[in-house]
Amino acid sequence: MKKSMVLGLCAMLLTILLAACGSKNEPQASTAGSSEPAASSPAESTPAPTESAAEEKPVTISFMHFKSDVTDGVQKIVDQFEAANPNIKVDVQPVKYDDYYTLLKTKMAGGDVVDVFTLNAGAQTKLFVDGGYVEDLTGMPFMENFDPNVLKAQATDGKNYVMPVNATPIAVFYNKKIFTDLGLEIPRTFDAMIAAGKKIKEAGKTPFALGWKDGWTLGMWAGRDLPSNTALVANQPDFFEKIETGAAKFADNPAIKTTIQHAKQLFDLGNKDQLGVDYNGIVDLFAKGDVGMMYMGTWPLADIQKKNPDLYNTGIGYFPYPFSNDESLNKLEFNPDASLAVGRNSKNKEAALKFLAFMASKEGGDSWVKNINSLSYVKGASADIAPAVNELQPYFDKGLVYDSQIYMAKTSIDWGSQFIQNVQKLFFGKATEDEVIKAMDDWVEKNHK
Amino acid sequence: MAHIMRIIRGEMWYVLFLIPGLGLFTLAVLVPLVTGARYSFTNWDGVSKSLHYIGWGNYVRAFADNDLWGALVNTFKYALIITFLVNVISLMLALLLDSYLKFKKTFRTIFFLPGVISIVLSGFIWKYNYAIGFPSLFSLFGIDISSPLGDPNYALFGLIIVAVWQGVGAPMIIYIAGLQGLPSELVESAKMDGANTRQSFFHITLPLIAPAITINMLLVLTGSLKVFDLVYVTTFGGPAFATEVITTFIFRNSFNNFQAGYGTALSMIFFLILVLVTLIQISIFRRREVEL
Repeated sequence: MKKSMVLGLCAMLLTILLAACGSKNEPQASTAGSSEPAASSPAESTPAPTESAAEEKPVTISFMHFKSDVTDGVQKIVDQFEAANPNIKVDVQPVKYDDYYTLLKTKMAGGDVVDVFTLNAGAQTKLFVDGGYVEDLTGMPFMENFDPNVLKAQATDGKNYVMPVNATPIAVFYNKKIFTDLGLEIPRTFDAMIAAGKKIKEAGKTPFALGWKDGWTLGMWAGRDLPSNTALVANQPDFFEKIETGAAKFADNPAIKTTIQHAKQLFDLGNKDQLGVDYNGIVDLFAKGDVGMMYMGTWPLADIQKKNPDLYNTGIGYFPYPFSNDESLNKLEFNPDASLAVGRNSKNKEAALKFLAFMASKEGGDSWVKNINSLSYVKGASADIAPAVNELQPYFDKGLVYDSQIYMAKTSIDWGSQFIQNVQKLFFGKATEDEVIKAMDDWVEKNHK
Repeated sequence: MAHIMRIIRGEMWYVLFLIPGLGLFTLAVLVPLVTGARYSFTNWDGVSKSLHYIGWGNYVRAFADNDLWGALVNTFKYALIITFLVNVISLMLALLLDSYLKFKKTFRTIFFLPGVISIVLSGFIWKYNYAIGFPSLFSLFGIDISSPLGDPNYALFGLIIVAVWQGVGAPMIIYIAGLQGLPSELVESAKMDGANTRQSFFHITLPLIAPAITINMLLVLTGSLKVFDLVYVTTFGGPAFATEVITTFIFRNSFNNFQAGYGTALSMIFFLILVLVTLIQISIFRRREVEL
């Protein structure tokens, strides 16, 4: 090889290396950054706009969100925003929920700036507010498009750092055909639900689609069944705060046994390979029409519509999850989903706030309803998500809704991922109820001194 | 003095070539190692800006932590089984593909291909295979199977199958290279002296490819001890902690439990374990090698 060629090759390699170092952040795929989340470079590509020239200069803002299962829907909403604001480009970075907070934490701690990102109101928001990463939105004009009660519920230390976006009921989908064929009523208590499940099993169908291969599906269920039973049945609404400070133990909470027993009953009536099939797998199963019930938010609706339009239009119903055997307690679980926050160190704050203002407008709110199939908090936004969800209308009308997540709002303890691993031991007879509870208390003692 | 100057001038050339590599190594390995060692003596939670030095607290806690021992047992079980299987299978493949076989180049490519895919991708492929692909395939023959990854009794073996499927390619290439370096006159003269295939394999081939065995054992063992990506995308330690390896345990502590200080201490311990394993292994296998 000639010397000049070698030199040229070296120069080329160096350029590639440098180019790779300076390259812009690619949208994070579901697993991107799993091993080195902090390695990516900040997604800023334009210098901060000066006050006067902000209107003319094109600006790119980064938008990281955890609604990765509806990536296309979010993209459509963003497209709508970009069409209305031709000077602002949005670099959308969807991240799988299981990895989202880890990635966001490492990014923030590493000094990266994300202009707009989703947060869950409550403990997670407080963590980032305390770290000084979130802009205060209190009193911004677009916040007036929300009900004051909603703003109050999502406030952190009395101030609004996050803007509410959407909310979703979390309840049980059921297959109407299976229910009518077997003459089943919509169950209003947990035992009735299990009894219905047993009948479905006797008929040779799958009672429950579980999808517990994913951590979040089981985690989501446990993270609602336990707080509901703890606060409303066992009357310990401040249990999770006490757990974190060491003032309470899982062993003192009778609800934990209830939840473990519930989990085991559901597991026994679940689809085949309960811990081997994931969320996408059970949505498939349910869409095929062989499954009686599925505990889930409204997210799979778009998927079901695509896979089985007939079932979507007339074949499925939705009932509140009966976490207890007391009918009057079993209200409809209605949770805030994503809220939006603006990075405090964002260099494109003006554009970021415009982005939020769009999401708070009726147009933005309607777009969330249409593309994500969830309810919007924006005043006057449409509420027509899907035929199945209309069945819940009586609960909304009578105000029979509650939010179990407020019982955990003041703590950051991540007991869920530990609990699901331990309760899986019980499923396979590797631990007893008491051993699971003891393992949980040991874990708390080790990690939250 | 002039002598030394001459050596320096003569050797400068090589040093120049070493600088980029050394620089990268320092930046990417040494600096994080030292800062990490510092964090391992703190109670840092991973997010906040304040931290306290707590001396050897994290290390004391690690030795009393039962979950750590559980994770270590899983890790070594996983790594030892893989090291054994990968080396046996890749050596057999190498022997087969080094002989006069039709299409041997095609077969080499086929067996090497899985190693080219990223581990994350193969994790996803196999997760799908286990959960949907195999059950629907076997149901055609009336056999009812479910994903091993969903059962704590088999989850680790499910992962081992994936790792072996993906891991045999590279060692196979090294073994083939070793086999091709064998002097054919030695094998031939053994044959003339009346040695059968088994004898010539155990007394000639094996001792002569011992360097390849050493390097393969080392690479596969340390590589599988450090497994993270495969476990992370397929099971993340579950179900029921059955596949909790040391790296996911560190990850869980650092990020899920907000114990970054403890997590780094665990990483340091794991680093020492790795160094120890490597040293022991090298000293054992080097002794068995034969110089030509």
